[in-house]
Amino acid sequence: MVPLLVGLALAVIAQLFLAPQLNAYDAGLVLNVGINIILAVSLTIVNGFTGQFSIGHAGFLAVGGYVAGAITYYTSIAIWGNAETHGGLLSSQSLNADTPVWYLARGDVLFAVAVLSGGIVAAGVGYLVGLPSLRLRGDYLAIVTLGFGEIVRVLIQQTSPTAKPQILRLADHPLDGQLVYRWTERTPEGLKTIYTAVDDTSPLRLVTRLGGSLGFADTPDYTSFFWVTLAVVITLVVAFRVKYSTFGRAFLSIREDEIASEAMGVDTTKYKVRAFVLAAFFAGVAGGLYAHFKSMNPNEIGFARSFDFVIMVVLGGLGSISGATIAAIIVTLLPEWLRFLEDYRMIIWSLALILMMIFRPSGLLGVREVWDLWLKPAGKKPAGPGSGGAVGRSDPPAQSPAAASGGTP
Amino acid sequence: MSIAAARSESNTQPLAADAALHVRGVAKSFGGLKAVQDFRLSLAPGTICGLIGPNGAGKTTAFNLLTGVYKPDAGEIRLAGRDITGLRPHKITRAGMARTFQNIRLFHNLSALDNLKLACHLRTRQTALDAVLRLPRHAADEQEMTDRCLRLLDLLSLSHRAHDQSRSLPYGEQRRLEIARALATQPKVLLLDEPAAGMNPQEKVALREMIMNLRRTFDLTVLLIEHDMGVVMNLCERITVLNFGQIIAEGPPAEIQRDAKVIEAYLGG
Repeated sequence: MVPLLVGLALAVIAQLFLAPQLNAYDAGLVLNVGINIILAVSLTIVNGFTGQFSIGHAGFLAVGGYVAGAITYYTSIAIWGNAETHGGLLSSQSLNADTPVWYLARGDVLFAVAVLSGGIVAAGVGYLVGLPSLRLRGDYLAIVTLGFGEIVRVLIQQTSPTAKPQILRLADHPLDGQLVYRWTERTPEGLKTIYTAVDDTSPLRLVTRLGGSLGFADTPDYTSFFWVTLAVVITLVVAFRVKYSTFGRAFLSIREDEIASEAMGVDTTKYKVRAFVLAAFFAGVAGGLYAHFKSMNPNEIGFARSFDFVIMVVLGGLGSISGATIAAIIVTLLPEWLRFLEDYRMIIWSLALILMMIFRPSGLLGVREVWDLWLKPAGKKPAGPGSGGAVGRSDPPAQSPAAASGGTP
Repeated sequence: MSIAAARSESNTQPLAADAALHVRGVAKSFGGLKAVQDFRLSLAPGTICGLIGPNGAGKTTAFNLLTGVYKPDAGEIRLAGRDITGLRPHKITRAGMARTFQNIRLFHNLSALDNLKLACHLRTRQTALDAVLRLPRHAADEQEMTDRCLRLLDLLSLSHRAHDQSRSLPYGEQRRLEIARALATQPKVLLLDEPAAGMNPQEKVALREMIMNLRRTFDLTVLLIEHDMGVVMNLCERITVLNFGQIIAEGPPAEIQRDAKVIEAYLGG
């Protein structure tokens, strides 16, 4: 309860005092950093805690993003007749004279419900993807998750353009003057145009109207410093509390030695699926935040995106929440700071990653958390609850299958 | 075979219902290789029994069958009267049988204490919600686990190692930690796979005493695989001998030492 209140306070402060200080570009970067922290920390639960190797995390982001985006977009149109933001002060991306006086408005409720729904649907999908992990491990699971991510991307690409409402101007049509969607239907006599009133349109008609390869761009921009800060705090608090509890040890023991874990009474299949579900939920929430900040686009949710998150997790140190957080910040900001290098940017960036993996194969922090570094004297191996100590440089790089294959990107 | 079979049915053996662990007709093949055939065992509560045999005789396979790592092709395994045949390992551990491994399988990056606390997980009373919201039940449960595990570490003289990463422990202590971890699951039957492997003579004597003490303290029934005849003959009350996946002898140590088949199996007669 206390961290939630602290998180709320932080979120309000970030929204009211930090956001107005930044220009649109910097503010966008900060929001992106926050969203990536959620994604990196959630992937840590699967790849870092349980040692499973999932490389389809962008698939969960996409599921959450499209579900949440579709809910706010089409519900906004049904309620308010347009897909503008109808939120209050805390959900405004830029604060200016037009900013509403209310802190939270009806649009914020819709947004929060949509983002949570996105998370829940993603968690459900995570359950389905987690099931094959009952039988597969290592690279084989990686291939399944990769396939999952691509399936999601291709399915979304096949959807139709978003439905746009319009006022009907047809004098002899019963819906004349009303807000309608326009549909083209194939009939035996050929193509036929029909109209349905926005209020009467069945959700089934809208479910496949997600923008296809053009992207889903018209979602209202609710994602603000307030919501992102709140989501980051909740994600971090849940991740830490899970890690430092008997459930976290159950996750970690699977990574350490699955056979021993099972022999010590841990239902390893159940915990692997749980890890997937929990990670997918937060990835879905992050997707919801992303959808209401930038546009969702199938080209940006492919496996290259998934690998960004894998890089964050491996760079931070498998299993380290603070490591993943720091890595998410670096991986989001460094390519931006390297922009002055122009064409050489991606070469330098790749080189930095390769050098990192050569000199610190276990990531920035290994399995430790940031405070393990100065709470324990350097000579003595730290072993905080659940985390254990350093996987130092002297250790072979192939600590776990995940670490070994994670070094490749 | 027939002699061994007759022996196992003599009245020195407990009946299925009374035995701490009762195994009948268990078999396992890998392709054409019959790894274990017609394996039977009956452990009276509170006894220490040995499972011996030359390398490749199927001892560890038998352990893996008992603990659910492999599913038996045939046969029946009863733990304190309850049928546990074909259950998954975590269910068998929950039912009251814990094991150690021939090649140490500790959770290397976790502290010694966390290794033990993980083994308490199966009897945890907190829910995931308790943990995430840090409700009182979480704190009480974690405290209870910590206390119990610290007592266990103390009992196995590992207290000074509680917060060390288990990979940093010396070999002998890792072996003891594995036994401690198995005990943390609160077993009725403890299976030890070569507990004395790699130990020097003094350590072996200490190990023997430790196993005797643990049996008394925790009211355990112990089954151990061991190559060291000194340990086996001094510690075990009954011994089962495997060769090529079959039981070739079963009985008290004195009898086993004189058994012609056992001598043949070991010396290749």
